[in-house]
Amino acid sequence: MSLRDTLFTQAEQKALFDHTFLARDRLEEQYASLPHQSETAAFGMWVFLATEVMFFGTLFVAVGAYWIFSPKTIERASLELNWVIGGINTVVLLVSSLMMVLAIHAAQLNRQREVFRYLVLTAGLGIAFLCFKALEYYLDYRENLIPGFKFDDAEWIARGVDASQLGYVKMFLFLYWTMTGFHAIHVTIGIGVVVVMAVLTRRGHFSAEYYSPLDVTGLYWHFVDIVWIFVFPTLYLLGTHTL
Amino acid sequence: MSSKITPANTYIVVLIALLVLTVLTVGVSFVPLQPIGHVVAGLSIAALKATLVVLIFMHALHSPRITWCVIVASIAWVLILFSLTYADYLTRGSLPQMPGH
Repeated sequence: MSLRDTLFTQAEQKALFDHTFLARDRLEEQYASLPHQSETAAFGMWVFLATEVMFFGTLFVAVGAYWIFSPKTIERASLELNWVIGGINTVVLLVSSLMMVLAIHAAQLNRQREVFRYLVLTAGLGIAFLCFKALEYYLDYRENLIPGFKFDDAEWIARGVDASQLGYVKMFLFLYWTMTGFHAIHVTIGIGVVVVMAVLTRRGHFSAEYYSPLDVTGLYWHFVDIVWIFVFPTLYLLGTHTL
Repeated sequence: MSSKITPANTYIVVLIALLVLTVLTVGVSFVPLQPIGHVVAGLSIAALKATLVVLIFMHALHSPRITWCVIVASIAWVLILFSLTYADYLTRGSLPQMPGH
């Protein structure tokens, strides 16, 4: 007998559950139909994503501004970032986006087990992204790329950066840590949401008629992917690379 | 949540296109270009990838008009953010006789 069974009868448990968000496969009063409700939920997520675009947009503007002030310095700084791991992460996120959209595709066709599998793959690739990011951050620490914490002026002067422009290097690296850090936080939140969706799928909460939370999760996940699609060339690919 | 179900093959083809574009982005970074070249190339390819993700993975093609309003509004406001900010930064020093330049 669980605590729940001790405190509430089965009828009471059902009544309580029906009032939670987990039972929302029923039409709420203010909507004309279930598709109307689902479309509105998706619209809500799109509006949130619009705010996220503005949030990340300002950071991109900052990188551009510093590039305008001191292009050679910013490009030299960009060369020190690990584009190999950045590139791998780009591929990881793109494939995870495919897994996410295939999960929704499976939900549309009511293939419950497939939905679960694709959601697990999405979350798994998200975790892989974070692992590569952690490795990259560790390597950056080893290479003194943390302004204000672990940074060597002399190294950069030896790389041809004028002493007066060192501030730009530090600002670029600051933006690198900020942008990739915020992005990683968004990925982590996304992984959490995808895992919750996978658990709910396992419990049979979704069907071909009602998979709106999966839709909304997908929108968020794809947006996180899009942010990275822009972050990668903006931070990692500004200078001319040589093999 | 529309009645149209895109076939899975479409998604896989789009992913392959995205991966090809990724390889292209990295490849272009090895070509010695003017600084503006890398920026333009990188961002154009990124914009193309983002367009594919928004239209197909995020089902924008099959979405109601109100979703399109949000997408267009986001792009519009980001363009305002970029254009007005750079209108300042790009014109510093252009008018020596004015204070603040």
